[in-house]
Amino acid sequence: MNRLREPLCILLLAFTLQSCVMLAKNKDYYPFDTSQLEKLTPGKSTAAEVTEMLGAPSTIVKLSNGNAYIYRHSLSKGTGLWLVIVSFGNYDKRKDQIVVFFDKNDVLTHYGVTLDANKAAYGLPF
Amino acid sequence: MVCPFNILPFVIYLFMLGNLLTGCVSYRLIRGTEGRSIPPVSEQCQVGTTTLEEALETLGAPDQVAELEGKDVLIYRRSLLAQSGLSFGIPLTDIWISSFDISAYGRLVRYDSLLLFFTSDGILNKMVIERGSRHPYLKTILSNGKGD
Repeated sequence: MNRLREPLCILLLAFTLQSCVMLAKNKDYYPFDTSQLEKLTPGKSTAAEVTEMLGAPSTIVKLSNGNAYIYRHSLSKGTGLWLVIVSFGNYDKRKDQIVVFFDKNDVLTHYGVTLDANKAAYGLPF
Repeated sequence: MVCPFNILPFVIYLFMLGNLLTGCVSYRLIRGTEGRSIPPVSEQCQVGTTTLEEALETLGAPDQVAELEGKDVLIYRRSLLAQSGLSFGIPLTDIWISSFDISAYGRLVRYDSLLLFFTSDGILNKMVIERGSRHPYLKTILSNGKGD
C-alpha cells in the first residue's frame, strides 16, 4: 500500500492543481415591471395603457383577430469544470414572459404570464 | 516533519503527468437547457372546449405566438442540448513532422414542443405535442433516423 501512496498523491495533486471552475451569468434584459400586471384589466385596458405600464414590447405579432404584444427577458447560468483530461459544462436558460392579446380595437382581451427566470440554476451536466 | 517523498522527483512527475495527460486524452461533456419543461396537457386542454384564456391560465405565457391561416398558434418549447467529445492524441510535432490524433464529437439538440391552435373565436382547435427529450442521447445521435 505504501508503494501506491506516492503515485496516488501525485495523481491527486495533478488533478487538483490543473483543475479550473467557471461560473457565468448572462442576462437578456428587457425591463418590465411585473408589479404592474395587477392593473391589466381584460375588456378595459387598451394597448396604449399597456405600453405605458409595461413599456415597449419585445415583439409584436399580428393575429387573426387582433395583435399580441410579447414582453420577454431571460437569465442564463453556466457552469464549467475542467479536471485535467475531463471537462464538464452546463447551462440553464429561463425566461420571464408576458404575452398580452388585443382585439382589433386594441382592447386587451387576455394575457398570459410566466415568471421563470429566477429558476435558472448553476449545476453540472449529470 | 518528515516529507513522504523527495520534492524534486515529485515536481518532475507532476509536471510530466499533467502535461502528458492534458496532451493525450480529453473528454468533454456539455449539457444545456433552455426554457421550462412542458407540462402534461392531455387532461388540462381539450380540443373543442378549452379556450385561449384557460390555456394561458394553465400553461402561462407561450414562447412564441403566430397566426396561421386564420388560426392563432401558441407555441411552448424547451430545448435540450447534449454535447460530448472524446479525443486521443499524442503530440509529436516537436520531434516529428506530424502528430497522432483521433477524435469523436457529437452534438444533439432535442426539443419538447407543444403547439396549440385556436380558432379566431379563441377555442382550441388542434393540439400537437412532441417530446424530443424522450429520445436517449447516444441512441439518437448514433442512429440514422429519429433514434426510436
